[in-house]
Amino acid sequence: MYKTKKLCAPLSTIFRGVLPTRRRLSPYFSNSQIPSLSSHLQSSSRVPPRYALHFLPNSNFSFQNLCSQSAAKLDSSTKRCWNCVADKTGTTPFLYCDSCRSIQPVDLSIDYFQIFGLEKKYEIEVDSLEGKYKDWQKKLHPDLVHSKSEKERGYAAEQSARVIDAYRTLSKPLSRAIYILRLEGVDVDEEQTVSDPELLTEIMEIREAVEEAPDSQALNQIQSKMEEKLEESSNSFVNAYQSRNFDEAVACIQRMTYYQRASEEILKKL
Amino acid sequence: MAEPEYIVESECETTEEEKSSSASSEVVIGIDIGTSQCSVAVWNGSEVELLKNTRNQPLIRFDVLVDNDIPLGEVNYHLSPYDVFSLGEVNYHLSHKHERLSGASILNMKRLIGRVDTDRVVHASKNFPFLVQTLDMGVRPFIAALVNNVWKSTTPEEVLALYLAELRIMAESKLKRPIKDVVLCIPVSFSRFQLTQIERACTIAGLHVLRLMPEPVAVALLYAQQQQHMLRDNTGRVSKRIALVFNMGAGYCDVAVADIDGGVTEIKALSGSEIGGEDFLQNMMRHLLPSFDKLDIKSMGLLRVAIQEAIHELSFQESVQIDVDLGNGSRLCKEVKREEFEEVNKYIFCESEILTVQCMHDADVDVEDLTDVIVVGGCSCIPKIRNFVENLCEREIYKGMNPLTAAVYGTALEGALTSGIDDPLGDVDLLTSQVTTLGIGIRANRSEFVPVIPRNTTMPVHKEMIFTTVKDNQTEALIVVYEGEPEMEDENHLLGYFKITGIPPASKGVPEIIVGMDTNASNELSVSARVIIPGSRQPAVPVMELKMPTVDDGHSCCAEVLTRAYGPTLDSMIVRMKNHSI
Repeated sequence: MYKTKKLCAPLSTIFRGVLPTRRRLSPYFSNSQIPSLSSHLQSSSRVPPRYALHFLPNSNFSFQNLCSQSAAKLDSSTKRCWNCVADKTGTTPFLYCDSCRSIQPVDLSIDYFQIFGLEKKYEIEVDSLEGKYKDWQKKLHPDLVHSKSEKERGYAAEQSARVIDAYRTLSKPLSRAIYILRLEGVDVDEEQTVSDPELLTEIMEIREAVEEAPDSQALNQIQSKMEEKLEESSNSFVNAYQSRNFDEAVACIQRMTYYQRASEEILKKL
Repeated sequence: MAEPEYIVESECETTEEEKSSSASSEVVIGIDIGTSQCSVAVWNGSEVELLKNTRNQPLIRFDVLVDNDIPLGEVNYHLSPYDVFSLGEVNYHLSHKHERLSGASILNMKRLIGRVDTDRVVHASKNFPFLVQTLDMGVRPFIAALVNNVWKSTTPEEVLALYLAELRIMAESKLKRPIKDVVLCIPVSFSRFQLTQIERACTIAGLHVLRLMPEPVAVALLYAQQQQHMLRDNTGRVSKRIALVFNMGAGYCDVAVADIDGGVTEIKALSGSEIGGEDFLQNMMRHLLPSFDKLDIKSMGLLRVAIQEAIHELSFQESVQIDVDLGNGSRLCKEVKREEFEEVNKYIFCESEILTVQCMHDADVDVEDLTDVIVVGGCSCIPKIRNFVENLCEREIYKGMNPLTAAVYGTALEGALTSGIDDPLGDVDLLTSQVTTLGIGIRANRSEFVPVIPRNTTMPVHKEMIFTTVKDNQTEALIVVYEGEPEMEDENHLLGYFKITGIPPASKGVPEIIVGMDTNASNELSVSARVIIPGSRQPAVPVMELKMPTVDDGHSCCAEVLTRAYGPTLDSMIVRMKNHSI
């Protein structure tokens, strides 16, 4: 018994040196702050594939995600469990090894849609996400690997945080739209100044209407109008995305952003 | 030759392995430190067992008697007045009442821990039967107990540590094994700074904190276990449940909305505030004796006990007769009606209602969605509270749990879960995912608070946000980390700050300062910053990453000093959100 330990020891010691135990994720996991990513690209909505690059599995963008990536790189070609060396089986994304129940390092080539076993499509059944999300959490949550190795605990933290972000991103129409465009290499700046004169006039009108609303009933009316508008732009987004008219798709997102904000503002007032 | 090398390394490895394997086999206790009472529980392999003290009481009064023998004193398990009357041990009560209220005992520490002397809660604590003095300058308040007629200074952390050490010894003697790991429950509104103080107190007491759990989350976990158990007995299929937990103790009020499905308890939202039974008590004291501030410590203590008893009785009867001798020939003799109590404390009921509504709103849950409504905590028997919760949620209150021990049961369960217990029966096939109770962000855009991790974000979480410089050729940037909400700038807590130096000269707005924040499942926070000049893939300066909080006591004072020292130039050192127009 002592002997096995002796043999294993150096390997894992080396690993510990290479793999920082910090629970870090690569930058684009932090989905909610998308707007800030594209600040310098205000002139065009098409982005040189600078950020889009990160979605390719083997890009060594920053040394911070190198650890996870290099580990992923080892596995992504073969999809083999780091622990029991069993090959990946079945069609479920390889976040977790079913044979030895160990959590796998983050594989960036698996996108959020794949995590939930979905086709890369804007229109999804949002209700179906929750069950799958919880199933993942029951496999990946850091609480479950408390007694396992430091390395696997790190994987658990990364995978779990990624699944949480995937769930949150896909469950809301706006963040889902932004995400799906990013998979196409288009970065959307939500904060971008509105230049469409039609939308500008509309914004002004809505703002006035909200300010002058005499009672909560009137506000409620505006609110449901905003929801309608949101739905409308969401539909036009689908069309634009399907016909790969990305400039139009970005414009739709901008409108959705605005209507959603207006709707939230009204809710606060109510 | 290679052999010895291996041995050296394997030794390291062995200790590492031993650590992790021994941690999993160790017993983890759950502790609920209440403002006025505490309890300890443990998962015994098949169910949660409440540990009782030597007097066979499951709820242990949280008073610490300071005396001269040991550095600070010893903990005494006192009976609360309610227990006394129900148990009929009046003599015991009377003999200790003097000690409790003479100024020698420190109580209600949970309300004072990690607070500075400008805090409203500290000011409201001045009528405790011991010394609380404030100089209103953002430092630790002066707290002292009377020992041999001399005031002896102490701190809430020391008192808590003593108390926890005592609880540990009690648990060890009951379980007949050493105890190290602990899960504690804490109020939702506790700042990260206060959590650090709790952790420190645990360390002094020889305990290692596995998890600090918001109280309503612990209750939700117990609920999830009950539901799982019940449904397994019936059909075996556990359907989705949404529960609202309202918890009000002596010091704090917390609300949570939890979604329980397939063994996963997902906290949707949390809200909380420092209102509770202590406020009821103080409002009543002021109402019945407006000049009570002028009483001496002993009379104040007598008044406190009498009114506490009266409030308790008002939960079960419409009116109560107060008749108390305050010493020095003064006497309070009055009849108090329940409506009077409710009128005097109107704003507290109102505020707790707001917390509940806010929590449902944050969770995006309607009244119809709720499966059960749970009301727990020391104040849960107050009719007004039960009524408003029942009215608001349009259903009866869940009856399946003891309101005083629900939280400690939850912590014991969490202790078992996080330590990876052996569970052959599948009784605790549960998982809780917690959310952040306060937003965490940095100071940017001159003096704005920009949250990087918003409130109610599921943990573990990693988020990044890009900031930039405000001046041409700015080489240094100050990252000032706060916890709180953007709307309440003054009440945000400073967690720490660090400087990034050596930013390559560039026009303002060009360098990307990427601030990353990371909380793990145990709610430990680390903050990092790296600088990238667009066009280059490599960070321009070494990445800074540190654990927060870094600032120590007197944090509001610290924030002021920071502004005073850097005030005029802080503007040029602070970052702004990239693409924010100023």
